[in-house]
Amino acid sequence: MNQTIVSYLAQYEFFDFFLNLFKGHESLLSFLVYLVFALIIVGMCATIGGLGTYAERKISADIQMRIGPNRVGPYGILQFLADGVKMITKEDVMPNSADKFLFYLAPVLCLTGVFATLAVLPFSTGFEMSDLNVGVFYLIAISSLVGLGVFLGGYASNSKWSMLGGMRGASQIISYEIPVTISILAITMLAGGMSFGTIVGMQKGLPTNWFIFHNPFAFVAFFVFFTGALAETNRAPFDLPEAESELVSGYHTEYTGMRFGFFALAEYIEVFVVCGVAVALFLGGSNLPFNIKFDNIPLQLFEFAIFMTKTLVLYYVVIWIRWTFPRLRVDQLMSICWKYLTPIAIFNLVGCATWLVVFNGKSIADLVFGGH
Amino acid sequence: MTPATFDGLMPIVIFMGLAVALFLGGHFLSVLLAPKKPSLLKSTPYECGEQPVGSAWSMFNVRFYVVGLIFIIFDVESVLMFPVAAIFREVNDMGEGPYILLIFISFISVLVEGIAYCWRKGDLDWVKSYQISLKNK
Amino acid sequence: MFVQILFGLSALLTIASALAVLITRNIMHSCVFLLGTLIGVAGLYATLGADFVAASQIMIYVGGIVILMLFAVMLTGGKDFVSRAQNLLGLAPAMGNKWSYALGLLVGLVFLLTNFKLLNSILNNVTTKAHTNEFSSTVNSLGHLLIKEHVLAFEISSVLLLGALVGAAIIARPRKN
Repeated sequence: MNQTIVSYLAQYEFFDFFLNLFKGHESLLSFLVYLVFALIIVGMCATIGGLGTYAERKISADIQMRIGPNRVGPYGILQFLADGVKMITKEDVMPNSADKFLFYLAPVLCLTGVFATLAVLPFSTGFEMSDLNVGVFYLIAISSLVGLGVFLGGYASNSKWSMLGGMRGASQIISYEIPVTISILAITMLAGGMSFGTIVGMQKGLPTNWFIFHNPFAFVAFFVFFTGALAETNRAPFDLPEAESELVSGYHTEYTGMRFGFFALAEYIEVFVVCGVAVALFLGGSNLPFNIKFDNIPLQLFEFAIFMTKTLVLYYVVIWIRWTFPRLRVDQLMSICWKYLTPIAIFNLVGCATWLVVFNGKSIADLVFGGH
Repeated sequence: MTPATFDGLMPIVIFMGLAVALFLGGHFLSVLLAPKKPSLLKSTPYECGEQPVGSAWSMFNVRFYVVGLIFIIFDVESVLMFPVAAIFREVNDMGEGPYILLIFISFISVLVEGIAYCWRKGDLDWVKSYQISLKNK
Repeated sequence: MFVQILFGLSALLTIASALAVLITRNIMHSCVFLLGTLIGVAGLYATLGADFVAASQIMIYVGGIVILMLFAVMLTGGKDFVSRAQNLLGLAPAMGNKWSYALGLLVGLVFLLTNFKLLNSILNNVTTKAHTNEFSSTVNSLGHLLIKEHVLAFEISSVLLLGALVGAAIIARPRKN
């Protein structure tokens, strides 16, 4: 926990005013600052989740040569608000033999698992909420709560479709955690630490310093990570748990109204988080290309803009993939994970370790172009 | 740079609390705004127009459990590897690179043998696991 | 100050969930309350400054063991198991046997004696050290220890995991009828 947003703001003089106000109760001041920024981040991510549904419909319409929503607001951009209002006003139906406690708990688990990952995402070098020393590790650990939420949602509905969807979903999520974790292990080795600050800090400078271009093993590890993370968030072509043409709606068949809205919101925010993690680990995070000297706050805003741009580009790629590939069968899904991705990920890990020892940590760019 | 304090753990708790608060807020809103007309038809589980017959879970297959088992083993393995990976570069800079590489590879190779065993014996197959393991008995 | 609040929350979550595991009659609810207990324990690790252990607790237990338990409950049909509570205020199922009462008494005695010993050493030790709010990461020291002093344990743990994997795969394989 090196740099948090509070310690970043403490550099400025205007902050001393608040420090004097809360003399003796610095924790309370930290709490208030965190609360304000957490609300800002949650609002931003909820908007991104909502706009993600809009973007998905527009991009899928573009790929399928139709128009998509264009009535609500200019170019249909307020469609997600209309959807949100619609979902709130729908009746909340629960199957009569469902397990009430678990039925209520499942969306909460999904939401909690996703929101807790927002606390460590490196939006920029100053705007990280909290730079935990075990940042990446904590992130993948807490996102396994989503798998639990999927399973309990499927079980609690007491319907055959939901149960099957829930079990398949849980086994898919836990299986694909392994290649993702092993790819993250390779990056931890290259960076020398698990905290996002360390990882992003090691990729400063030209884009040739990004970890994706560090060695061929890391290059393949990016694709393994991206595929595994797509499968973890139940996005097509891995969306068997919510397969629209097979299981009606899988584990959230019986969920109506706002509860279904929470499942969908959790999924879209999780895609955003996963893209953000891929950007931070492999694509240079929020670093500026070419060390330009800026003042402090404009620097942070610029870095934030760079991070969001890269993440949204990856988000577009995720949506593009969904509407291009057909859905995988469940046995193909499992065999891809255990027979292809996991051996490739382990091979990448050993390859990265060997590269570090043999070439003493130099990247390909350093070897080819000289370097320090 | 201010020293690291426990206050860095606050955002985690705050975000979890915000998730629960968001859920409760949405629930409260829908209690206010949504209609409430429960009927017998609405509360039976959905089966594309058919009546649901029998209890909800029919044949639960053991392959879900086997996948979970293999996942746990690999999960513990990767957790054990994280501290070693985190100091890999530092130890390499101190000149003891080959030593830590040897430790790392011997740890991984034991588990690669494990996954090779499961692959050969058909535990990783989703559909054919019965046939292959019957053949190998 | 925040450390105390975090400790209070985690301890409350742990104990309440542990009690709920015992009291509830539905076995699926027990598994979910076990999840609450394990998250509370992770919070307790975090208050002690063991950040890596807390995160690995969440990763292994929450992400794996609870899901595995839920799968196991579904596989063995435990979902339909309803505990038949004997008479002890309807709260304690499967009690009423004199051996279980004797065992419970013994466990309670041991627990009480341990608590007395702990409280004794705490109450007699009146030096108050100011609680520093500092935090140092444990990951690097864990890594160094794992390769230098405890490298044999590290390697043998991989063999142990291999044994667990092979044994569990053999047991879970479907039998030839």
